[in-house]
Amino acid sequence: MDSLVAEGLGKCYVLSREEGKSSRSLWRRLRAAPRGDADPASKTREFWALRDVGFRVESGTILGVIGPNGAGKTTLLKILARVITPTTGRVVGVGRVVSLLELGAGFDPDLPAHDNILMNAAILGIPRLEAQRRIKEILEFAEVEQFVGSPLRHYSSGMYLRLAFSVAIHMNPQILLADEILAVGDQAFQERCLQKVVELGRDGLTVLFVSHDMDAIMRICNRVMWLHQGAIRKLGDPEEVVDEYQNAIWSQADIAQSERGRRANRFAEVLSVRLVSSSGKDIGGAPVSEDVFIKTRFRTSKPSLSVKCALDLSTKGQLIFRTADTEARPLPQPGIYEALAKIPRDLLAELPYVATVGCIFKRDNETKEYPLLMYNALSFLVYGTETPETPTSGRLDRVGFIAPRLEWTVRQEAYAAGA
Amino acid sequence: MLLALRRWLGLSASVVAEADGGVDRKSQKWVIEPARVGLIARAEELWRYRRILWFFASRRIKERYEDATLGRFWMFVQPLAPILISTLIFGSMLEVPSDGIPYFLFILTGSSCWRIFDRGVQRVTRSLDQNRSLIKKVYFPRLIAPISSVAPALTEFGVLFTLLVATCIYYFVKDGIFYLRLGPQLLVAVLAVAMAAFLSVSVGLWTSVMQIRHKDVQFSIRYFMQLWYYVTPVIFPLSELLKMLPPELHFVPYLNPMSPVVEMYKWGVLGIGHVSGVGVLVGVLMTLAIFGSGVVYFNRSEAASVDRL
Repeated sequence: MDSLVAEGLGKCYVLSREEGKSSRSLWRRLRAAPRGDADPASKTREFWALRDVGFRVESGTILGVIGPNGAGKTTLLKILARVITPTTGRVVGVGRVVSLLELGAGFDPDLPAHDNILMNAAILGIPRLEAQRRIKEILEFAEVEQFVGSPLRHYSSGMYLRLAFSVAIHMNPQILLADEILAVGDQAFQERCLQKVVELGRDGLTVLFVSHDMDAIMRICNRVMWLHQGAIRKLGDPEEVVDEYQNAIWSQADIAQSERGRRANRFAEVLSVRLVSSSGKDIGGAPVSEDVFIKTRFRTSKPSLSVKCALDLSTKGQLIFRTADTEARPLPQPGIYEALAKIPRDLLAELPYVATVGCIFKRDNETKEYPLLMYNALSFLVYGTETPETPTSGRLDRVGFIAPRLEWTVRQEAYAAGA
Repeated sequence: MLLALRRWLGLSASVVAEADGGVDRKSQKWVIEPARVGLIARAEELWRYRRILWFFASRRIKERYEDATLGRFWMFVQPLAPILISTLIFGSMLEVPSDGIPYFLFILTGSSCWRIFDRGVQRVTRSLDQNRSLIKKVYFPRLIAPISSVAPALTEFGVLFTLLVATCIYYFVKDGIFYLRLGPQLLVAVLAVAMAAFLSVSVGLWTSVMQIRHKDVQFSIRYFMQLWYYVTPVIFPLSELLKMLPPELHFVPYLNPMSPVVEMYKWGVLGIGHVSGVGVLVGVLMTLAIFGSGVVYFNRSEAASVDRL
């Protein structure tokens, strides 16, 4: 059974360039106002936050919504939550819709949890008795029973979130809209939320789940919608869509920043960029005290090529260093190759790093270069393995964007001894 | 009075809750379309969501008195100060007639009714702005925002009415005359209070929407209300105004829908004033016209307003 059917959904915003200037007559503006269109005299520009979006969701589906910032994810959810009205198209749905668009929306910070639950229920149009019956369950799931009496402004953001989520799922929704907010809670609660969502999905709850956390999307969603510039780019199997989405982020970044930069040319194609340990295993983070490798796999399609690889490492938006292979390496046969760049132990600091990888291909008898470049192809965290004896010892010894361990020697100068 | 209101809202809510407990809401189908929702559908929706009204109203009232450092003292001083000044200027210096009632009591009575309207309009005008964060994140009938914003105006009225009673007692002790009319006429005053609140929402429906587009509405409305104050029989009795006007212009004061409301209130509380059936009827009709057109205007520009917030 379809629980949600959207057809040709579009949302157009009129951007006025002269906002705030009130030189035009009030009367003309007033006449324009009720029609909802822009001031007739001002220069305006249309912006379609969402255009011609159509999809069906069967009940019990957990639909992940992914896409870069500004793709229209939130706009879509807001339309479904009735917060904004679509410009075109229509949505037909069945059952109660509960939305978690923002942390604490619909909560009054001065009221205690109990009253807030009732207010939330009222906002959702839920009868008071029904809400009262569930208060205990809600508080239990949110783990805030001992704070029932204190006003919400004394709550931590985690408690806020737990309460909001708990209220939402206990209001017996048929459709739940969740926008990114689950990122606030701690690991354990996030896990519990995701579990609960999966569980409710089995009972027929339809969930629209916006997230940038591809891990969570892959784990709980059974369908994924990829929005791009207000339109559906792809809708289907999570693995497939997420894979393609992640690949596209790379290539898109390339196109945006450099016409040289791309993932594939007519000689070669980069397959993956991974962080591996010295035993060759894929790892997500790099221990400070171990050698790790950035492994770039690529496939060549022509014989007699050579490649020279390069690497940019940055952290916090700062380029820390660029380094390249010392010479071009021959690739005599077409096939799959892997290039390993060793990052020695005790070089990087305990920070998240982002690597941009470049591979410059050359044909043996040509001088022209054919580079492939992947911006931000890999991000990883470097973490410390030794537990320092006191919280600050060790940590303060090496500070900065990199933290190499140098060789120190201290000795007494020979001539000074007798002076 | 507020407690009674709460009880009433709470009671009626639970009665309804039991009633629709049996209805299977699970299979309820809904549609979202660009088309505007009709007025009848809006009214039904408003009724379904009526319980939020209490939460919103109490929030507004709390906000009103929250940041006042002087607390209760301030509650009384703030509305009283302009009345004392007016008493000094119009009562003592200009000797404006007051239908045989001490001028202070006269203006206090008129002001308490006027203030519902005055504060109401100003609060309702800002209502969409004030609820911006909520409106942009949660759906509820947007009409709730302006309607609930009258609540602080009603509490301010409560304060002034307390002062009014205290003043009557003072004059009873001093002169032996008890000006307050205790009897069924008081119901007329209650009706006038309701009308003042209703009219302020009606005007506010227009101004709140305009306010989103033009921030200057919020500032200009203050001066507009001051002007309106002087054409409403608060600082002077309507009878005096009628005496000054030639008979063929006697309809003029009735073009102001607040005139009959204030007169009704004064008549209900003190037994003075000039209440005519035609005047009241015209006032009611005008109020209804402003309300009706305001609801239509509000409903029509709702979607565009939310986009602009």
